[in-house]
Amino acid sequence: MPCAKQEKKSGIKNLLLVLDSNEYIFAFGILKKPSSKTLIDTILDSFPIHSIRIPRLVVEEVGRHLTPEEFREFIEFVMNLASIDEDFVVPFELGVRYELEGLKPADAFIAAYVEWTGAAALVTENRHFLSRHSNLPFKILNAEKCLKIIKSSI
Amino acid sequence: MSVKPNVKKAKKHLAKLRELVSKRKHPFSEMSEEEIINALRKTREEIWDKKLVTRS
Repeated sequence: MPCAKQEKKSGIKNLLLVLDSNEYIFAFGILKKPSSKTLIDTILDSFPIHSIRIPRLVVEEVGRHLTPEEFREFIEFVMNLASIDEDFVVPFELGVRYELEGLKPADAFIAAYVEWTGAAALVTENRHFLSRHSNLPFKILNAEKCLKIIKSSI
Repeated sequence: MSVKPNVKKAKKHLAKLRELVSKRKHPFSEMSEEEIINALRKTREEIWDKKLVTRS
């Protein structure tokens, strides 16, 4: 977990983040949620200091709630900012470990993906994730907390 | 799957996406934050289940 180690040693310099589908949906203005919108804007303004990774599953989830025209813009947006990782690249065993910790299979995959990428944090408004803080190799933050961390490093 | 990062282009597409979203009544627009999160969790489970069926 290089990002987390770096944070402990010398304050946050670079944050690699994985954003859950709810953060994208809120950032696009489907629900007025300023923290999610500001987080994406801040990542864009600070790129490549702070960056994101996104799995195919999240792309598909977001896409389900967009029109084809909106989805095209979303894909263009993502591909100019990050890699889209295919789901099969994540080791199966990692996902199983999170399932054994009580996460549903798809949520377990997301947790495994975050660990696999070495990201510093999963950003989500999903309380089922937010309630799980212990013994994880990455942080689970909502957009507001993530913004505070990013701003404290400036 | 990736192309060379281009923040200017990413911002342009994000702005366009926000503009498109603002022009229509989205099925989520009448929902609370919690309801949207639950709907997205359901979407996740549906997609995941479908992926598992396809692979097995």
